[in-house]
This record gives sequence, structure tokens and C-alpha cells, in this order.
Amino acid sequence: MFLLPKGNPLFENLAVGMLKLPGVISKLSTGSFTGYASFVFQASTVILVFKAGKLVSVMFEEKNGNRQTGFEALSALSYQMVGASSGFLNVYKLSKDLTMCIHALLQGEILYKAQELKLIDIKALLEKIGSDRMNGCLRIYTDDRSAMIFYKDGAPLGFFHDGSQDIETTSNESQKIAGLPGAKIDLFSTQGVEHLMELDLLEVVNVQNIWETAVAHQQSEFNKINKAREERQKENFAGKLAVLEEQVKTIVVETVGKVGCGIVDKELTDQGGNACLLDETNVVKFLAGIERSAKLLISATSLKVMMELLSKAITGAKSEH
Amino acid sequence: MEQFIELLTQIDKFELIRVIFWGLAGAVSFYFSIGNARIWTSISIGFFLIFLGQAYAINPWVHYYKLSAFHNIVGTVAIVVITHGFLEYYVFCRTFEISGKKVAVYFFSLLILASGGIFLFINPTPSPNTIRNFKIVENSIWVFLSIMNLELIRKIYTAIKDSPISRAFIAFGIVFFLIFLWRGSELYLQIFQWDRDWQDIIAVSSDEVSDIDKFAGRVNFAMLVNKYAGFLSSLSVGGTFIYLYRLLR
Repeated sequence: MFLLPKGNPLFENLAVGMLKLPGVISKLSTGSFTGYASFVFQASTVILVFKAGKLVSVMFEEKNGNRQTGFEALSALSYQMVGASSGFLNVYKLSKDLTMCIHALLQGEILYKAQELKLIDIKALLEKIGSDRMNGCLRIYTDDRSAMIFYKDGAPLGFFHDGSQDIETTSNESQKIAGLPGAKIDLFSTQGVEHLMELDLLEVVNVQNIWETAVAHQQSEFNKINKAREERQKENFAGKLAVLEEQVKTIVVETVGKVGCGIVDKELTDQGGNACLLDETNVVKFLAGIERSAKLLISATSLKVMMELLSKAITGAKSEH
Repeated sequence: MEQFIELLTQIDKFELIRVIFWGLAGAVSFYFSIGNARIWTSISIGFFLIFLGQAYAINPWVHYYKLSAFHNIVGTVAIVVITHGFLEYYVFCRTFEISGKKVAVYFFSLLILASGGIFLFINPTPSPNTIRNFKIVENSIWVFLSIMNLELIRKIYTAIKDSPISRAFIAFGIVFFLIFLWRGSELYLQIFQWDRDWQDIIAVSSDEVSDIDKFAGRVNFAMLVNKYAGFLSSLSVGGTFIYLYRLLR
């Protein structure tokens, strides 16, 4: 995402996690805000351009260069905001004219795209911009540097380049980049400020619905993940219980004989299954049942040793759990 | 006391030793019932009752027929209670269920004995023939239930044969085999009217003639079996409970 002039910052680095998109848009809209709001996430940036409280353009751009505009961009922003654990919001107030140029840059008509500068008569192009009284933005860039010239009615409004914070009045940097080998240009044009006043995405898009859909989707995803996690935990728990049950059976069978297997099964059934082995109350009943039955088959000494082994195995499994 | 000492001098020495051994076996089994699991209560109480049943030999008041008959009732109750105990143990081996309370076993044993006492109290004094009938009934039940207990013990042993206690059931098997011989031989003599009681009865109050002399060989053999099997069964019961006590200690 290319950099934009910061103008007059209203908010900077506001954590997105605490914000709701309808609330942000409503605040900027009712405040007749002119400028742009940029939502910066780890993998994407979203720019919302406002003109006198009207949302004139939205641009969603991913790190890989994929772009979306309008409804799709708002929807993508909602999903990002709902699901984001990081990200922040910047709001910059700009003049009406510069806002128009930003709109041109984001969603204007593309007259030139990645055009190599050496193949173009730049003088003639600049003269055409002037003679056609063009509104828009000329972007001059190489692989690692870029500069922008904003035009209103064919006259330069100001100059902006990577590394600067705001609009400059001199074209030095632009000229420098234009002189670099491999320099390219993009030319975006838009209609005048009056035309911008006719645009308002908020009239055609229900931001509240978009947001609620994203929240619902996020909630459903969250539930799915939770359910999957719970199932994994259940499986894991059931696996641990099965291992513990086998351990218990082995101890009892080794002490009591094969009949011990039946004793363990019976006591587990009485206590509602092997989950009782990790339950504070039921495990006591389970052990009492085993002790009572084993008392009929083995000596008191063997019984004591067996009960100690059982307690140790169950305590060990509990601490792992 | 003098009457008791006089009785002891009159009693057959071998029978006295047998009663003493049953006394020891009864004491061991009763002691075993106190400190052990409930299922053992019926078995050990039953073996203790055998001693009470056999104690007629040293009872100075045994000439009271009702009391003599009561010894037979106690003996019958003994084998019923023992069988109930083995049946419970068998049920435990199959279902691993243990239910009931020790005190209930003591209570119901006493209740049955009391019922037997009431039965004797409300009925006429039994004649020697009636006493003999009591003995026949007692022996019949003993023989039948001994066979049943041998089968139960076999099944219990099969179910728990790799458990430490399983060898005690082999010992119980020997006990019941000896008891079967002891009671079976006596029943055999009674069925064919070769027993001493019948000989005494016909000697004083009947014109009937016994054929005992014709079968002296088998009568003597049955009496020999009865004498030694009875003695050995008392020894084996005492030994089995001591062995069981050591196994469960």
C-alpha cells in the first residue's frame, strides 16, 4: 500500500480490536469529516475516504496487492476488524481538494498504469493535464521510491513522496525520482469536487448489516473452532481415561486374578463409566467397591499394596489431566 | 457339673474327640466370621452351627427328647446357612455383586433356630422314632446339599482359579467330600434300618427283626466310614478356616 499524506491527524494508532465499524463510520459521517481513515492490519490496509461526512471511496488492499473496493472492501474490513487481534486506526483530516485527489488515486479512472517514463513525453503529458484541467493524481515511482503530484483543474495542488509526512510545495523529489532509471508513472483522474458530493456509499450500503454479518460469521467460526477444540479435548480425555482404565485393570488383575477384570468393569459401570476415575467423589466410591470385592479374594497385605498402586495410578493421571 | 462329668466318662472317646474338633472348627469359623467380609458370614456361621448340632454328644440334658431334636434342627440349619453362603459367593463370582448386612445373617440364623424351637415347643414330645426321623431328614438334607455345595465350589474355583484364595476352595471341596461320606454313610444305615437308633428301638418296643447280621460287612464298613469321615471332616473344617485365615491375613 502506498503512503498517503497525513494532513491533520485526528486519531493515530487507535487499537482496532476495541472499535466497531458502524460506530467509527457514524462518528466520521455525523461530524461532516473530510479526509481519510486508514485501518492498518498485519496483512492488509483499508482506506475510507470521506468528503463532508460522505463516504466517497473505500479501498481494501492486501500485502500481495489484491484490492477490493466498495461493498466488498467494507465487508472485508468488517471481517478483518472482527477477527483481528492487532491493527490500528489512523484518521487524517485533509482539504476537500486533496481528498478528491486521494479518491482519484484510490478509485479514479486509470489513464496510465505502470507506464515507463522514458517511453512517454512527460512534458506533453503535463501540458495535457493542464490543458484538460484534469483533477487527479500522477504517481511517479521506481521499485523502491515513489512520489505523487496532486492536480486540481490541471494545476498542481502539492507534492508528496515516500518519507515525507505531508504535502510539499516543491517538485524536487518528484523530479529526482523521474530522473531515475526504470521510473514509471500511473495517472489517475477523477471528476471535480462537485461530483464527489454526489457520491455516498453510506446511502447504498448498510454498514450495520455488514458488521453484524461479519460478527455472526466470526461467532460461528469461533463456535466451530471451540466445538472442534472441545471434541479434540473429549477425544484426548477419553483416550487418557481408556489408558487409565487399562492401568487399573492391569493392577487389579495382577493382584486378584482374571476375575479382577470383571470387578473393575462392574464398579466402573456402577459409577457411570471410566470418567469416575478422574472424579473426586466417584473415584472414592469406585475404590471402595474394588476394595470390598478384592477383600473376598486376596490377603489384607496384598489388598493394601493394590489399593496404594491404584491410588498412585489415579493420582498420577489426575495430575497429568 | 457332676452330671456333665459323668456323661463325659460314659461317652465314646472317639466321639468326644470329634465333638472337641468340631468345637475348635466352630470357634475358628465363628472368629473368622467376625473380622471378615459379609459373604463369609453365612459360611462361617454355618460351620459354627455344625458344632452346636454335634454338641448333643456332650449335652447333659440330651435325654430330653425335645432338646435332642433341637440339635438335629440346628444341624439342618447349619448346612442350609453354609449353602446359602456358598451360593452368595458363587453369585459374587458371576456378578461381582455384594449385598446385605452381616447382622442380617446373624439375625436370620437366630430367627430360624428360634422358629425350630417354637416348632418343637408347640408339638408333642418326640418319641425315639420321631427323633430318628429328625436325624434321617437332617442327613438327607446334608447329603443333598453337600453334593450341591461340591458343584458350587467347583464353579467358584473355575471362576477364580488364578486368585490367591482359590486353593481354599479346593480345601472346602475336600471338606464337603468328607461330609458327604460322613452323612451319606449314616443315611445309608438309617435307610436300611441298620443304624444304632433303630436297633435300640426294635430291641425295646417292636417285634420287628433286623437283617443287620446278614450284611455285617457293609454295615461295619459304613460305620467305619461314618466314624472316620465325621472325624476328618471336623479336622478339615478347622484346618480350612485356619488356612483361609492365613490366606486373607
